Amino acid sequence: MPEKTYLQAISDGLRQEMHRDERVFVLGEDVGVYGGAFKVTVGLLEEFGPWRVIDAPLSEIAIVGGATGSALMGLRPIAELQFSDFVSCAWDQLVTVAAKQHFRAGTPVPMVLRLPSGGGFSGGPFHSQSPESAFTHVPGLKVVCPATPHDAKGLLATAVDDPNPVLYFEHKHLYRRIKGEVPDERYTIPFGKARIERAGDDVTLVTWGAMVYTAAEAADELQAGGVSVEIIDLRTLQPWDKQAVLESVAKTSKLLILHEDTRTSGFGAEIAAQVVEEAFEQLDAPIRRVAAPDTPIPFSPQLEKAYIPQVEDVASALRELAAY
Amino acid sequence: MATQTQIEVVMPQMGVSVSEGTIVKWLKREGQRVLADEPLLEISTDKVDTEVPSPGDGILGSIVTLEGETVAVGTTIALITTGGEAPAEQESESTTTAPIPPASPEPVAALPADRAFVSPVVARIAAEHSVDLERVSGSGHGGRVTKKDVLAHIAAATTPVAAANEPLPAPVTSAPSSGDRLEPMSQMRRSIAEHMRRSLDTAAHATTVFEVDMSNVVAIRARLKPEFLERHAVRLTYLAFVARATVEALRNWPWLNAEIRGQEIVTHSYINLCIAVAVDGGKGLVVPAIRNAEGLNLLGMARAIQDVAERARSKQLTPEDVQGGTFTITNPGGHGSIVGTPIINQPQVAILDTEALVKRPVVISDEKGVDAISVRPIMNLCLSFDHRLIDGAYAVQFMAEIRRSLESWGEERY
Amino acid sequence: MAIARDTESLSSSLDAEQLGLDRADLLGMYRDMLVTRGIEERGHILYKQGKIPGSFYTGRGNEAAAVGVASAMQPEDAGTPLHRDMGVHVTRGVEPWRILAQYMGREDGPARGRDGNVHMALIEQNLVAMVSHLPAMMPVAVGLALAFRIRNERRVSVCWYGDGAAARGDAHEAMNFAGVRRLPVVFVCDNNQYAYSTPPQLEYACANLADRAAAYGFDGVVVDGTDILAVYSEAKRAIEKARQGGGPTLVECLTLRMEGHAVHDDAFYVPRELLEEWAKRDPIGRFRLWLGEHVQAGEAELGELEQQVKALLAEAQKRAESSPAPDPSELEQGVYAEPEQPQESTDA
Repeated sequence: MPEKTYLQAISDGLRQEMHRDERVFVLGEDVGVYGGAFKVTVGLLEEFGPWRVIDAPLSEIAIVGGATGSALMGLRPIAELQFSDFVSCAWDQLVTVAAKQHFRAGTPVPMVLRLPSGGGFSGGPFHSQSPESAFTHVPGLKVVCPATPHDAKGLLATAVDDPNPVLYFEHKHLYRRIKGEVPDERYTIPFGKARIERAGDDVTLVTWGAMVYTAAEAADELQAGGVSVEIIDLRTLQPWDKQAVLESVAKTSKLLILHEDTRTSGFGAEIAAQVVEEAFEQLDAPIRRVAAPDTPIPFSPQLEKAYIPQVEDVASALRELAAY
Repeated sequence: MATQTQIEVVMPQMGVSVSEGTIVKWLKREGQRVLADEPLLEISTDKVDTEVPSPGDGILGSIVTLEGETVAVGTTIALITTGGEAPAEQESESTTTAPIPPASPEPVAALPADRAFVSPVVARIAAEHSVDLERVSGSGHGGRVTKKDVLAHIAAATTPVAAANEPLPAPVTSAPSSGDRLEPMSQMRRSIAEHMRRSLDTAAHATTVFEVDMSNVVAIRARLKPEFLERHAVRLTYLAFVARATVEALRNWPWLNAEIRGQEIVTHSYINLCIAVAVDGGKGLVVPAIRNAEGLNLLGMARAIQDVAERARSKQLTPEDVQGGTFTITNPGGHGSIVGTPIINQPQVAILDTEALVKRPVVISDEKGVDAISVRPIMNLCLSFDHRLIDGAYAVQFMAEIRRSLESWGEERY
Repeated sequence: MAIARDTESLSSSLDAEQLGLDRADLLGMYRDMLVTRGIEERGHILYKQGKIPGSFYTGRGNEAAAVGVASAMQPEDAGTPLHRDMGVHVTRGVEPWRILAQYMGREDGPARGRDGNVHMALIEQNLVAMVSHLPAMMPVAVGLALAFRIRNERRVSVCWYGDGAAARGDAHEAMNFAGVRRLPVVFVCDNNQYAYSTPPQLEYACANLADRAAAYGFDGVVVDGTDILAVYSEAKRAIEKARQGGGPTLVECLTLRMEGHAVHDDAFYVPRELLEEWAKRDPIGRFRLWLGEHVQAGEAELGELEQQVKALLAEAQKRAESSPAPDPSELEQGVYAEPEQPQESTDA
């Protein structure tokens, strides 16, 4: 099976979706001639033409509103904002219009919004955010966070098929660093189904996105010390695979949630609340969260390292939890 | 190897005005493993005589102050070494040693003065198995009992495979009389002893005995037995029939499948049927559960009984197998007994015992009311029940239903 | 690039035929205006009787602008009408009883009680339900047009916004995108001169909102919004231009908001003289006169029509009142659309 980078998987997925369904089109800044700020859409303009790969003006509102309107008329836009940080410019379009349309009027809005997110390379406060948690709080939106090339492509296909607005958070720090096996043919991965990155008996670690790799390194350290950690990669946050987490907690009775987004009101808080509600009698220790501190993302490398959860942070939290 | 730290055992202050205390008796020897909160020694002071619990887990490294000595409050009277490996057990009497200068003691996490924290899962498991957490050693933070600890405790208490972490108490020093044989109780024995005593102390035991005419069952069993063996490799026993009839009757008499928790009655919607299995040539007893027995037909029940019995005897049961039972059947009748007064398996409220199948003369009335003597295979069924929850009328109606069920077992019934 | 211009009033002209409107069409437009106003007047009463919860907005004075533009649309064209544009829904065929049920929050309202007043639409009529954050529908309307352009369909998107909403960035971003890509969209600005209590001189700095069209590369026109035929004429021109691929137009319909911002507002800040002046130009009154003069619609005929509308609305009210309240147990349904096929894992 061919190995592709995370970026190639998304790129190939886009191309495959556009070939497969003529309703699919791409809309965003610099996606056409330039091939995308991160080169995800290279070659698509030449292949599909300027009315399927549309270079939009610098307007998140026009991009998201344009996607909403065209979706209402039966197309399947895959819109892109250049950085997830700029999603705040289009907040109103997403939250006020797209999210509420089906509830109020019964009309589906089958759009996908790709959002390159995440930090780790001194991008500073406005090019590094992981704002996915905020959107789990908006009924009507779906939130997807692939961590592997395989999942990136499969989840993109599902997002295109889904008749709801789907926010697809692709972690830009994984684009070229992570490679994996990705089938050439089309496949879908259902939303709300987690991937068990590794099974374990002593502690459950729930995470998503680039933090999956940090978790894996930390778990390796703990394994060497005789503690086995079960890592659950949620893959999607809205919906999320609560069943998988509850089953794991029933086994280990200890839960740690890890996310790159800031701590307060991050999605980890929701997971913790639901697990306590439904599995109180399974818990042998308090639920821990490891997340970024409640600050904007700093620029200098030393500060950023103190901000983004590191392997040592996760490993030490896991050790404490295991020993409790 | 883990780093070793030393915990100081100090003479406690048993009252504001108390300034000293006297060692009455050391309950542990040097070199012996001690657990946090476990009684370590007895002291006497002006105010009160009391046991002093161990401040931590570890090995009692050295006893500084000997029995009979009086020291000021706060004096270090012993040292406990935490971490590292346990030294070999010592059979000799505790000996005095020169006080070892303590290595710079590392601060130990302060332990709660009262019982250590019980987490939700530990509380639940302990309640389900009537485990007294005071008796469980805790390996967790602050010496608390963790989920692993309580599960290990249950497994050790109910399976013959018990890793003895604790060294056995030193043998009594009085000389045995000639002809007496002295042996320590096995883990299983001690556990059974504790359970039986506790069961009698907990439940208000009453027993009722019913005679059941097993003619129909005998006939049907004769017919089905070869088929079960050839086609399914399952031995069909009378116990399987009784178990089926019992499970069906429990549907209509659900309190017999319940538990008393404090002031509440917890009635289970599922029936996890325990079967008592004798092991070790009659010197031991294991009671594994068949989960969701209500969903089994005769074949399924016979198969399940065969399976748990085999695994019990070959020591292949898992901790899950011996948890969560809701009703127990015991079958001593194979050896000829005709009446029993079984002891309830806590936290259940009833236990059924099947006695020997004996051919007896019985009086049969025909339709005209004319009596005649006939020989029938009769089996006595004895039900011990907890009279706190179950009254006699309830119990006997349950038994009457089982009897009817067995006596009218039809050809087509499975 | 053309600059914004005023249009001539057609009311005095005899050229309705040139617009392709026959007598039946004209009477139909009059009827639509009557129904629109009738619904809103009835709504006032129902609101004060406590039968309409929440708030209540009308477009009194905007009937000609709404009906005029809607009448110039083809069925396959799409639109995003706002709260002063009840006439658009009526012209497109939404039944009055359903509109009243909508106001009352009943199950038969197009929003089934999930949204109120004019936040409704039937997608079968190619109308998209508005939101309160105005003009958030403008980028969406441009999106509708984008779909038509991508599929090369000869369909037009009609987008409504007001003099107040024109101050927000959504208006700029939507019109900019539409102008850059020459998308088939017509922007209709309902300039009723008051955004709640804010008059034009505090809302925008240019002389006419239509002047802004030039900044986006397309034409802007100002129309007397009380003259239904003038509105129809300009709307038709703009819509057909878009349909032919000529890109967007901004049609600014000038009216006066004849009632408060909502029923709870008595509009004390609007000068009496202004109200009196515009009352004389009441769109329904104007057109009634014109019909009498130019197509010989006499008192009998018009009176009869007006009675029919009254009866229709009385019937509509009864029917709406018998529509059930929505079932609370269904509240959590419909937040998400269901996929056509269940999402199975076709994981390789």
